[in-house]
Amino acid sequence: MSGDTFTDCPLADDQNTDVIPGTLDMLILKALSLEPMHGFGVSRRIEQISRDVFKVNPGSLMTAFQRLERDGLVDAEWRQTENGRRAKYYTMTRAGKKQLGLETADWARRVAAVSRLLSAD
Amino acid sequence: MRASLTSVWRHIARGVHALGNERGMDRDMHDELSHYAEQLIQSKIAAGAAPGDARRAVQREVGNMTNIREGVRASLWETSVSSAFSDARYAVRTLRRNPVFTLVVTLVIAVGIGAVTTIFAGANAYLFKPLPGASNTAALVQFDRITPDASEGTQASFPYYRYLRGQTKTLSAAAAWSKVDLTISRDNVGRSAYGALVTANYFSVLGVTPELGRFFLPGEDEGLMAHPLVVVSHEFWATHLGADSSLVGKEIGVNGRPFTLIGVAPPSFVGVFTPLKTSGWVTLSMQPALRPTRSMDANASWLWTFGRLRDGATLEQAQAELTGLTGRYVKEANEQAWASKYTTSRAIPLTGLPDDAHKMMAAFLAVLFAAALAVLAIAGVNVAAMLSARAISRRHEIALRAALGAQRSRLVRQLMTETLVLFSVGATAGILLALLATRALERMPLPTDEPLVILLPLDGRVLLFALVVSLGAGLLFGLLPALRAARKDLQTQLRSGGSGSGRRRPIVSNVLVVGQLALSMVLLVAAGLLVRALQSGQRTNPGFTAEGVSIASFSSESWGYDAPHAKQFFTELRARVEALPGVQHVSYTTTVPVTLSNSQIHVTPDVEYGAAADATNKHLIGTNNVDADFFNVLRIPVVQGRVLGKQDAAGAPLVAVINETMAGRYWPKQSAIGHTFKSGDDQITVVGVVRDAKYATLSEATVPFAYLPFAQQWRSDPTLIVRSSAEPAAIARALTQAIHEIDAALPPPKVLTMPEAMSFSLIPQRVAALVAGALGLVGLLLATVGLYGIVAYSVGQRAREIGIRMTLGAQRADVQRGVVRDGMKLAAIGVLGGLLLAAGASQLLGAYLYGVSPLDAPTYAAMSLLFVAVTLLANYLPARRASMADPMRVLRGE
Repeated sequence: MSGDTFTDCPLADDQNTDVIPGTLDMLILKALSLEPMHGFGVSRRIEQISRDVFKVNPGSLMTAFQRLERDGLVDAEWRQTENGRRAKYYTMTRAGKKQLGLETADWARRVAAVSRLLSAD
Repeated sequence: MRASLTSVWRHIARGVHALGNERGMDRDMHDELSHYAEQLIQSKIAAGAAPGDARRAVQREVGNMTNIREGVRASLWETSVSSAFSDARYAVRTLRRNPVFTLVVTLVIAVGIGAVTTIFAGANAYLFKPLPGASNTAALVQFDRITPDASEGTQASFPYYRYLRGQTKTLSAAAAWSKVDLTISRDNVGRSAYGALVTANYFSVLGVTPELGRFFLPGEDEGLMAHPLVVVSHEFWATHLGADSSLVGKEIGVNGRPFTLIGVAPPSFVGVFTPLKTSGWVTLSMQPALRPTRSMDANASWLWTFGRLRDGATLEQAQAELTGLTGRYVKEANEQAWASKYTTSRAIPLTGLPDDAHKMMAAFLAVLFAAALAVLAIAGVNVAAMLSARAISRRHEIALRAALGAQRSRLVRQLMTETLVLFSVGATAGILLALLATRALERMPLPTDEPLVILLPLDGRVLLFALVVSLGAGLLFGLLPALRAARKDLQTQLRSGGSGSGRRRPIVSNVLVVGQLALSMVLLVAAGLLVRALQSGQRTNPGFTAEGVSIASFSSESWGYDAPHAKQFFTELRARVEALPGVQHVSYTTTVPVTLSNSQIHVTPDVEYGAAADATNKHLIGTNNVDADFFNVLRIPVVQGRVLGKQDAAGAPLVAVINETMAGRYWPKQSAIGHTFKSGDDQITVVGVVRDAKYATLSEATVPFAYLPFAQQWRSDPTLIVRSSAEPAAIARALTQAIHEIDAALPPPKVLTMPEAMSFSLIPQRVAALVAGALGLVGLLLATVGLYGIVAYSVGQRAREIGIRMTLGAQRADVQRGVVRDGMKLAAIGVLGGLLLAAGASQLLGAYLYGVSPLDAPTYAAMSLLFVAVTLLANYLPARRASMADPMRVLRGE
């Protein structure tokens, strides 16, 4: 949905890409593991920590939040912002924390396996 | 993996909550996205961008907010539910805005669905539905005795039935029954009742349970005259016994004897042959009183047999075993030659119809069903064409919605929903039509004195069928137009301003219209042929005059009359009827001509007496037993000799009056008078020759026929046949009165006019012609509408071209001719195809086409003319409109 939009966007880094498929939920949970955040905060954190390698588009982000909320991995609450707007803040639940642990371990295992494969002679 | 039970529950709860709060959900999503965008803009400004640039950049980056919301929502399950609802709402709104389109389409679908549902209700009632009132019907089998080549069958004699019942291992029980005429009376008021003489296990084998009282106990069919017990049907009990439950256990009269009413059958149970409504049941032990002319010995085959398969036994095993048993029985039993050729048994599921009737019914219904399916197909194709045409006129709306972000699948779904809504409404109307049609058929008066009943319930199976057919038709005929309408060539559609995309020929629609024309042609040709057959049946000179003749049948056995008593009664009745005002001639007869009944005997004429007069040498001729006045009643002319007279009484020399065909075949080039022929041991002298006539059916080839004196061969169940100048209703009243003057306890007779009775033999043709004709006309109408639509559409597409041509000097007539020529090409292909198809399909009707060839030229010519005329009209109207348009306005694009 967003590929075309970003290529001709002058402010975007030419190098950034969508996150690796299947990892978005894990990355969101990781971002939320420090403190509750709203959607833009999560997206910004993923971009910053990945040093702008990954770009998150709002559509996928909202969809992922809906999913995580329904799975009970995050909680959401509406807060008032400084300029009187409503913002939705997400908090990781206990189940979310557990899930993050599982997915992190799984990811590490898979990355290790891929690295071994790639470094094999 | 993550799906625990609680999380499934949470998904459902949130989804349902969201469904009930769509507006709130939308606002939340909107707020969240705006907040996101706001933050993004702020961050860009913080990074040094000008506010205007930042805002524009974010707009580009984030894209269409509505699209995002749609995307997020699409990932939620409740969205499909809610969009189905909103699709349906939208569909209903759109359809209500186009009431004419909606009404026409709904009616078209209703006719199609109504037609197939009605025919299916018939098939369900007579072919698929298990025997009403019986339980565990899958294990019920009926079995017949047949010849090894299965060409002939016979009913069972009592000893044969008893042998099978004693020996069978595959059947847990075997029962037998036969028709018996009953007169059930209470307080000296008698009612004729179609009865069954049954074995005691009849009800228990069928698994029927009594509504009141009890059924027969084991052993109650044994011992001559030992068990005067009767069970009546629910309907008889309700109609003639005042639904009085205190009567159970009391005495009522059956054929003039006191019987005990032991039980009432449940309302659903009408006996084993479902088209005939059985009103009373008595056991075989009472046979000598109720049906004395039938014998219980091995040479009288008059029982129908059925049984219940033992657990684990199959129909094939039962058939094999019964065949083996029949073979052994034939060796052991001392049967006459005619009976011992039936050495095989055939077992089939108990369906409510005897085997041959079942096959006839299946063939008849298959023809009607094919016709109904053809109409449904025409209706469906028409609906598809109308949907396509409408999609074209709606392409602006569709293109707009697509441009606003509606996905193609969503658009297709929306259009499909409209189609399904149309089909649901149409199907509901169709089921109502079927309900009306089946009720009308059930109430149709049948010109017969048999207790024929037509029951076509629209039960769950029929409704399920209608539902599946409607949905199937909706998908089949709705999907293609929807897919075409939602094509992705939006740009073209929007740019061209809705005036169409060039002159692409609507090939698909052309094929559909040609197919419709061809199919309705087939139906109308079939209807035409059947009508011609009916006419030829009615035109056929039966060889007698039926007008002015009334008939009434009697069953003196059912009154409890013995032969002397009955003879006295019939003599007195004839004398009274002869004295009635307006009555000219009166006769008794054993069979009424052209009512599908016949009796035949084997004879040897005297010219062959010398030859080896073995069985194979005998000739089969038709016979009827009549009184002297019979030939006057029916006005059958005497050619030679005399008719039967009073002198031909019982005990007098046996005589016969024969027809010309018989005289010509056995005694050619000489007078038949005085010659003799033998039938069994009897030698019969020919005393007269009468003109040929029709005997069993109007379509039969004339057979040799002999009229024998009624007095010389007594029958307990004659028909009185009366020629009178009085009104038929007056005759019926006078006849009933005459009967009650002799014996007030006798049931009132059913009096029919001779033309009524004869029309019964043409009922299949009548029904088939009616159905095919109605369906064919509907089909033609639909096809014409379709053709009109196509021509009008193509004229609309060519409006500009026509305008140019007319500006350049083309005449109106030229333009009209051009348009009509194009349309008539389609019509011609349709009609030619229809003629070819009809020529093939009409071969299937062969059995119903009395006196008409399946390739009857006048029918084909008339139908072709009709089609050409109607299609010309369908072409001319749009052509005329096109040529009337002001060319300047057309060219200006208005």
